[in-house]
Amino acid sequence: MASLRAIARRGGRRALTAIPAPPAFVPLQARRLHDQVNHGTLPHTGLPLTPKLEFFNSVASGPIPTFRVLDGEGRVLEGAEEPEIDRELARRLYENMNLLPALDNLLYNVQRQGKISFYMTSYGEEASIIGSAAALDNADEVLGQYREMGVLLWRGYTLDSVMAQCLGNQEDIATKGRQMPVHFGSPTHHFMTISSPLATQIPQAAGVGYALRRMRKPQIAVCYFGEGAASEGDFHAGLLLASTVPSPTLYFARNNGFAISTPAAEQYHGDGIASRGPGYGIDTIRVDGNDVLAVYVAVKEARRRCLEQGRAVLVEAMTYRVGHHSTSDDSFAYRSRAEVEDRKKIDNPHIRLRLYLQSKGWWTAEEEEELKSRLKKEVLTAFKRAEKLKRFPLETMFGDIYAGEEPWNIKEQKEELARLLKKYGNTWEPWKNELQKFENNGKEFTEKS
Amino acid sequence: MAGTTAPGGVDASASVEPPPAGGHLPSVATSRLMRSTRDSALRTPGLHWNDVEEHAHGPSPVVGQRQTQKMNMYQAIRDALSIALTKDDSAIVFGEDVSFGGVFRTSMGLAEEFGRERVFNTPLTEQGIVGFAIGTAAMGQTAIAEIQFSDYIFPAFDQIVNEAAKFRYRSGGQYNVGGLTIRSPTMAVGHGGLYHSQSPEGYFLGAAGMKIVVPRSPIQAKGLLLASIRDPNPVLFLEPKILYRSAVEQVPIDDYTLPLSSAETVFRGSDLTILTYGTPLFSVETALALLANPPESIAHAIPASVRGASIEVLDLRTLLPWDMSAIEESVRRTRRCVVVHEAGRIGGLGADMAAEIQERCFLRLEAPVRRVTGWDTPVPLQYEKFYIPDALRILDAVVETLTF
Ligand SMILES: Cc1ncc(C[n+]2csc(CCOP(=O)(O)OP(=O)(O)O)c2C)c(N)n1
Ligand SMILES: [Mg+2]
Repeated sequence: MASLRAIARRGGRRALTAIPAPPAFVPLQARRLHDQVNHGTLPHTGLPLTPKLEFFNSVASGPIPTFRVLDGEGRVLEGAEEPEIDRELARRLYENMNLLPALDNLLYNVQRQGKISFYMTSYGEEASIIGSAAALDNADEVLGQYREMGVLLWRGYTLDSVMAQCLGNQEDIATKGRQMPVHFGSPTHHFMTISSPLATQIPQAAGVGYALRRMRKPQIAVCYFGEGAASEGDFHAGLLLASTVPSPTLYFARNNGFAISTPAAEQYHGDGIASRGPGYGIDTIRVDGNDVLAVYVAVKEARRRCLEQGRAVLVEAMTYRVGHHSTSDDSFAYRSRAEVEDRKKIDNPHIRLRLYLQSKGWWTAEEEEELKSRLKKEVLTAFKRAEKLKRFPLETMFGDIYAGEEPWNIKEQKEELARLLKKYGNTWEPWKNELQKFENNGKEFTEKS
Repeated sequence: MAGTTAPGGVDASASVEPPPAGGHLPSVATSRLMRSTRDSALRTPGLHWNDVEEHAHGPSPVVGQRQTQKMNMYQAIRDALSIALTKDDSAIVFGEDVSFGGVFRTSMGLAEEFGRERVFNTPLTEQGIVGFAIGTAAMGQTAIAEIQFSDYIFPAFDQIVNEAAKFRYRSGGQYNVGGLTIRSPTMAVGHGGLYHSQSPEGYFLGAAGMKIVVPRSPIQAKGLLLASIRDPNPVLFLEPKILYRSAVEQVPIDDYTLPLSSAETVFRGSDLTILTYGTPLFSVETALALLANPPESIAHAIPASVRGASIEVLDLRTLLPWDMSAIEESVRRTRRCVVVHEAGRIGGLGADMAAEIQERCFLRLEAPVRRVTGWDTPVPLQYEKFYIPDALRILDAVVETLTF
């Protein structure tokens, strides 16, 4: 941490007061497992000694509890503190929670019709995603897994941008048609581009947090991942770094019960993802992921601690993946339809928030009607518009590999493709038809001199 | 098929109409490489029955009594796994989502049939899966691990390259993980993009001590997989995922193997050798039909002089260690060579092939060894049709090499 200190000094006093300095190194302090006679400490460590042969396998007594604010009927739980959420924010949460399924319904269906190659829904996880997004600073740097489109929507990512990426059309500045649908990314929205290999973003987020601190920004890194991805080595590497180096990174585990077909019960033997936090010595909370107010409150506090301590904080949101894993999956091959229907009915994040809003007099049946039909219309309009657009020019395939000078092999391969397209592209139907899908119809190749 | 009709004599009537933009896709179902009768299936070259000792007390089934069954490639792989589990009590099959049948259905029903101790889901960790597999194999057991997509094999790169491949060498031959087989779906499906369409075999070519196998069809998959499982070396078995459903053959139902490190000549010819493996074999077949009988739209680019060319096609099947003698023998004879693979050009198998061939056959060659490969870019989703070497790109390379 010496280097950070030095930077802070160089940055002058103003910077130092604007952003809390990184915490001083705290020597390992063992927890006292039991109150007992003092037998002194293990030399050189400060670890208390005990004559008792005792194993332990938890740091709390019993399972880690789940923080909740709203009960199943949208009433504030007895003993819970009602968060300071005004009418406007509450309604905004609800609208965004409805926008997600409106998009999911359409994009899932158009994938079925073959108009996009792939899609993943957020069904069931709306409260986790929207609630957490709302609790963050919009400039907190987000590294997601793939089921976090709601964070972008909260930050004002437009429907046109969503459609552009999913269709891979010429407005898809997120990946220029290179990546599969739902692989969003937008520097303006502080949302790094999604990559399919799981968990790779977890150690990266530790680095992002560290960089933010060195840049003396009042922001944190926020990393989303599934309970399945948390089994990867990268999870352990990431939390270890962000806790030890340390780095202000908020880890948000979406525990939706499944990793494709694998139930959470086969994913880990311990007490979920939250139980791992104390192993890394970081503040941890488990929250009811279907209770948008609880998620909001927990993430707000997690963010505060993260920034204050300059160290990782872990939030585990307990939720349920109501949809199939993706359009490539039929989840009824490994779970019953009844189970899904049950979960939708008994613990529905939308209904819980709606009942809360109604109890406050902040929402009416007419507004519900109006919202649903408006969102449906907006989403459809955006899709219809996007559908008409062509893809980026074909030469985009060869772009952005390196910055700076294009290497010889890429140059030559572009020339090779140009030669082939000139020779066959005007007559060979499969190529001719395919070329029409690109802006410029491949002319940058076929008409290249 | 092997050594039967020269491709020039292929009845190309089915292929002269341009296929859809997928190019090679529709030809898999109708491919002449598929053995769709019991008879042709039983005549698969190199097929070795492994159940002879089971019939020690009676006559072993003669070929005439062998049965076949129509299977696609995922069913043939499932059949091989089932045989491995039946015959070898130490065998276990595991990986992400394996219990319910696997995302490509290759382990359907195996957990129910053999129990969860032998067929099971692992937590989502590739490095864990391969490390675990190495441990069980080091104890002399048979470990059949699945990596869900070859694009996701890299977390296990260290375990594979530094551990599995070097296990025997570094222990002076005292330890080995010969019982280890890593299966993984590979190659493009036409809409997978960066992380569902890669062909990562090139990264593993330097892993001396490990074998790499790629099947092209159900019969091949079953025989090569059983051979890989029983081979005394760790094997990386890469399954072209577009073929799981589309490739259908009559597959012998008994226990058989096909030889590793042995290329198969799928078409015999005398004017040019095409070396390839996996999915591109079907694009090659389409290309040869187009060469013999070019449709109007491309006839202008195919000189009459090459239309009767007789092209030899080798399915390499084992990529490491590859069958050098078959390659050398063929190229010496035909004097021309084109290598085709979906993986990018730099660091691809074609580079090694071309280097070995020019060293061995330099004076025999009439043209440079030509490579038709993916470009040296990541696999780009919306551009895949122009990224993957399709029939036309192969055809063009063949024509250029013939007329060099
Ligand atoms: C390294 C890696 N291994 C495997 C996969 C294939 N895969 C994609 S999603 C997924 C399940 C992820 O589950 P989880 O992390 O719980 O997220 P969820 O889908 O439930 O949101 C798997 C196995 C992958 N993308 N990357
Ligand atoms: Mg999950």
